[in-house]
Amino acid sequence: MYKWMLCWRYLRHRYIALASVISVMLGVATMIVVNSVMAGFSEKMRDRLHGVLADVIVESYDLDGFWNHQEVMARINEIAGEDVEAMAPTMETFGLAKWTVNGHPFTRQVQIIGVQPTERAKTGDFAEFLYADADAANAKTPGERVNMPASFEITEKVKRNRPAGRFLNEEKGPDDPFDTLIRAQIDEEVADHGAIIGFAVGHLHHEGKDVAVAPPGTKIGLVFPASGAKPAPGYDDFTVVGYFKSGMSEYDSTHVYVPLERLQAMRLLGDGKSKGAVNQIQVKAKAGVDLDELARKVQLGLEGLRPMFFKVSTWEQKQGPLLAAVAVEQSILNILLFFIIAVAGFGILAIFSMIVVEKTRDIGILKALGASTSGVRQIFLGYGLALGIVGSGVGMIGGLLFVWKINEIEDWLSKVTHRKVFDDAIYYFDKIPTLVEPFTVMWIVGGALIIAVVASIWPAHRASKLRPVQALRFE
Amino acid sequence: MTVHLSAVGLEKSYRKGRTGVPVLHGVDLQVERGELVAVIGQSGSGKSTLLHLLGLLDTPDTGEVWLDGDRIDNLRERKRDDLRNRTFGFIFQFYHLLPELSALENVMLPHMIRLKAWSYLKQRKAIRSRATELLERVGLGHRLTHKPNELSGGEMQRTAIARALAGGPEILLADEPTGNLDSGSGQGVLELLRDLNRERGLTMMMVTHDQTIAQQADRIVRLAEGRIDEWAAAIA
Repeated sequence: MYKWMLCWRYLRHRYIALASVISVMLGVATMIVVNSVMAGFSEKMRDRLHGVLADVIVESYDLDGFWNHQEVMARINEIAGEDVEAMAPTMETFGLAKWTVNGHPFTRQVQIIGVQPTERAKTGDFAEFLYADADAANAKTPGERVNMPASFEITEKVKRNRPAGRFLNEEKGPDDPFDTLIRAQIDEEVADHGAIIGFAVGHLHHEGKDVAVAPPGTKIGLVFPASGAKPAPGYDDFTVVGYFKSGMSEYDSTHVYVPLERLQAMRLLGDGKSKGAVNQIQVKAKAGVDLDELARKVQLGLEGLRPMFFKVSTWEQKQGPLLAAVAVEQSILNILLFFIIAVAGFGILAIFSMIVVEKTRDIGILKALGASTSGVRQIFLGYGLALGIVGSGVGMIGGLLFVWKINEIEDWLSKVTHRKVFDDAIYYFDKIPTLVEPFTVMWIVGGALIIAVVASIWPAHRASKLRPVQALRFE
Repeated sequence: MTVHLSAVGLEKSYRKGRTGVPVLHGVDLQVERGELVAVIGQSGSGKSTLLHLLGLLDTPDTGEVWLDGDRIDNLRERKRDDLRNRTFGFIFQFYHLLPELSALENVMLPHMIRLKAWSYLKQRKAIRSRATELLERVGLGHRLTHKPNELSGGEMQRTAIARALAGGPEILLADEPTGNLDSGSGQGVLELLRDLNRERGLTMMMVTHDQTIAQQADRIVRLAEGRIDEWAAAIA
């Protein structure tokens, strides 16, 4: 009984020992914050990656692809139909984009993706990433977002955005002969097919603001490899109808979406209507399906159709190095941070040894009154545990509070230091994403407790080995 | 009268660096039940060591300690812990109260050590009222919740006496109980011990270097250079 009582009293009256657990507290809090933020980042990143890519991607090794995608899709349905929710054929190729705005030429290296927009929207978050104009894409809160339909249609609104569009006069109405002339002019100017370009392709980030360099209505020329025995370029003009903004700068700065049929035709791989080659099939699995298993099944099945031609991967495999890099970063950081707590352990060891010296007389009294060796040991082990509980408990609460209010803290820090601490332009996150994993928190707190107890073993043992007389002579 | 506690040929030396410093050279002593024995001698004569050996706070190099006809110095550690808790009560020159506990809690300490948490909680009320009674007996009924640093020297020693009595001991071992007190409080403490000796029939052994204090004991044992130099006879 006296053990608990003395642990409790020591905890309440020995402030020096509490100081020793501040390091435990800080260590635990830091680990919780870092893990939550990193988990939040990687979760958000995975979300976005996954939004752009479908669950499973079937692609051909050859960029020119395959003509029989109906057959391939039928085959996939046959193999794993019960696991598949939707499929979308896609043509993806590298290329160049070139356009002029107000006399300024722009040339960009891009990834050109021919899609059937409604099909593509069924296999991922494609539609959620589309914005009709730059202002909407810049909106900070989701409520202000003006999404556009997944379509390449060149609307009246887009047309009016052409330089000539500002001469149109609403009041006079469509019958005005001058208006009719302008409309004809615009129709002649715009390319027949629309393109949705990556947000960062069409914008420059300048002094914290996004400046549109390819507003809707801009005519952009795309160059891409055409099919044939000799390498040769294909070329076509498209009209910008909207932007694609996933938040992954790798995609937003390269992707250009164009109508699949048009791309097929211009690459000499289709008739421009229903027949044409694709080099990718995006597959969306039903909820709860094991993607690795599905990919393996599909890969095996397609080998029968055409050996050594298809490559089937899950979205995670496609982004393997990036995801692995984040995981490695997180684990290395954890190891380093855990050393902080280990250092705190040595602090406890040192201060505990001092407390044992200070308490030598009390130990003698307790033994004179009949306390056993193990009883005295338990007092100090219990004291170590109690300090650990206080340290990691306060650290946990502090860490969780920090995570909870991290964006407010960031705002405040930015205000105080006059510098943007978390520059949202880098990640396109308007807030610092966090994700608290209860299991991780449990591990951190548990680890800190173990270290606190382990650090008190030696001082406790030394205290328990004191003989009563030795202890009482100490004055 | 029966022999309560006895020492047979006790020898003890302490290590100081490489050489052993002998403190006791074969001490034989018998204390009868209910007797108040004063041990006097100059500092370094080994009187405290003798007390510690008799109270099982230390083990002799050679020799034996007997309690009620049983040898106790060679018992297992657990048994010895138990004897210290139940049979012996200790009073020290520097009181040795635990600074984090109140007077009352210090007096309850022997029971806290004796009982497991659960049975202690069950008997807590009885233990508390007994401790209160004891503190009232030593004249500290108004100081129950005070911490040791809020008590005077005499009050601390009275608290220590109450604590020594709390476990219900048969033998009280006091090491210079008045050594750190002014003569007034010292005399008060001594009278308290004397009264307790009479009313409870406690066997008492008191180490002191103060002749006038020793005079009030039943018997005086004089230690000189680790041996008993017996000249004093029973007084009272």
